[in-house]
Amino acid sequence: MLSLWLGAYDQGLAFAGLALGTYLTLRVLNFPDLTVDGSFALGGGTAAVLITQGVPVPLALLVAFGFGCLAGLVTGLIHTRLGVNDLFAGILTTTGLYSITLRLMGRSNIPLTDTPVGIDRLPDLSAGFDEEWAMALTLVVLGLMLLVGLLLSTDFGLALRALGNNPTMARANGINQRRGLNIGIAAANGLVGLSGGLVALFQGFADVTMGIGSLILGLGMVIIGESIFRPRNISLGLLSAVVGAILFRTLIAIALALGLEPVDLKLVTAVLLLIALAAGRLRIPGLSAKEKV
Amino acid sequence: MTLTISELSWGHPLPGGGWRQLFDGFNLNCQSGQFVVVIGNNGSGKSTLLNLIAGTLKLKGGSIELGQRRLHRYRDHGRARWIGRVMQNPLEGTCPGLSIAENLRLAERRRRSGLSFSGLLGVRPSHSDRKRYQQLLDALGIPLGHRLDTLVGELSGGQRQTLSLVMATLGNPELLLLDEHTAALDPKAEAMVMDLTERLVRQLGATALMVTHSLSQAMRYGDRLLMLRDGQLVHDWSATERMQLSEEALRQLYGSGIVAAPNADASNGP
Repeated sequence: MLSLWLGAYDQGLAFAGLALGTYLTLRVLNFPDLTVDGSFALGGGTAAVLITQGVPVPLALLVAFGFGCLAGLVTGLIHTRLGVNDLFAGILTTTGLYSITLRLMGRSNIPLTDTPVGIDRLPDLSAGFDEEWAMALTLVVLGLMLLVGLLLSTDFGLALRALGNNPTMARANGINQRRGLNIGIAAANGLVGLSGGLVALFQGFADVTMGIGSLILGLGMVIIGESIFRPRNISLGLLSAVVGAILFRTLIAIALALGLEPVDLKLVTAVLLLIALAAGRLRIPGLSAKEKV
Repeated sequence: MTLTISELSWGHPLPGGGWRQLFDGFNLNCQSGQFVVVIGNNGSGKSTLLNLIAGTLKLKGGSIELGQRRLHRYRDHGRARWIGRVMQNPLEGTCPGLSIAENLRLAERRRRSGLSFSGLLGVRPSHSDRKRYQQLLDALGIPLGHRLDTLVGELSGGQRQTLSLVMATLGNPELLLLDEHTAALDPKAEAMVMDLTERLVRQLGATALMVTHSLSQAMRYGDRLLMLRDGQLVHDWSATERMQLSEEALRQLYGSGIVAAPNADASNGP
């Protein structure tokens, strides 16, 4: 049971960047961003390629973050400069990213067999499981939460939140909507790219298809966290996204332990989200109908 | 600052086909610090005029200048550095998901976009910001100073519009645009918001354009009263001239306008 919990904890933390990115686009910017499916795989693929070529893990993850940012920026520019619908802009980028990631990786799957340098130097809380990973991931995610939390508490973050809340009012108060959306979507996808890199590291391989269903996964994590914390401010919102990621992975681990076939996981995730949508617990910009038709 | 509108031209396509040229060579000059009230029937171009000045609609020709500044060369968020706006709908003028203090902070930063690098410095609103906002609200007699952490979405329409008005005057705007900002309020809230409007406009010394459908407001407030009809300035009264008008006479003039068909109403723009 302990190994199950620890595995879920580690995996949840590896996916926390995805949850934070989803939170940033959907809850802060009110932008339904489908780029995450592509930027998650791009981040994973980039990190895997660099690590196999001997690049230090932190640098590889930083590049994964940067590539994620670029992917988000492309979606932002397609939407704000060319006037393409938000959902369609994300689909276009994701479609293109599949080829780019495949080109970057050179093949569809890259194994990462060695434990990254530095992980084994971290303090071991109790022998036998993946505590080094837990410590490393906890530090990374706490750092991310602190960084995003601080960012959103500045005038800069306030401007982004205003854009998601009421763009008309935000513009009337001097906020450049195009710039705000571009920066926000880029930052969110950077987090998703970083998460892709961490997941690839943790699971020991990167696959070009690893991003499929990432938006739904991210959404599931955000919803679970929000249903527990019911956050009224940004700090709690970020915390709820991270805790949601851990709980989501725990639920999946329990489902697998109860005999669910791994191949059915995405179907179960989709059905759970559909139930949440139908119950009216969730309002996703552009995805949920305002009224029943 | 003096507001100068020269040879303004703007029109929009009609839903059933065709084109409606609302403004064609429209001119207006408002002296610095002047409080101008604009009345007119639906579709006369009052709100469209404010939207063209604010930059939410693009003019097809002519120029809009504030002092020496050519406003029409800036996009709407760029013009916000000098323009404070209060919208008709209390839901539009504030961010319901942010607290009162956060909304005030946004308005205060209007002259410097929060999306610049300087926006990354320091957690905002800071303790001193909050203290300043509390003092400001208390000085204006607005009982929201002790509720700075309350989400604006939890306020009543009147409270929201009051806050929106205070926000519009923060950051020393040179021009205030008030678009039927009491239309959605009950009489008590309307009186309170109008009283505050008068005080803030005078205190600020900015040029102000207020659009209204209320003839009693038109008779009571402002230094100048304009009447628009089909994109044309048909009456321009000074405060002294207005005092010689009766509300009944104004109503008759108001009613003599050709009321545009609902589908030709350009007040919301295309």
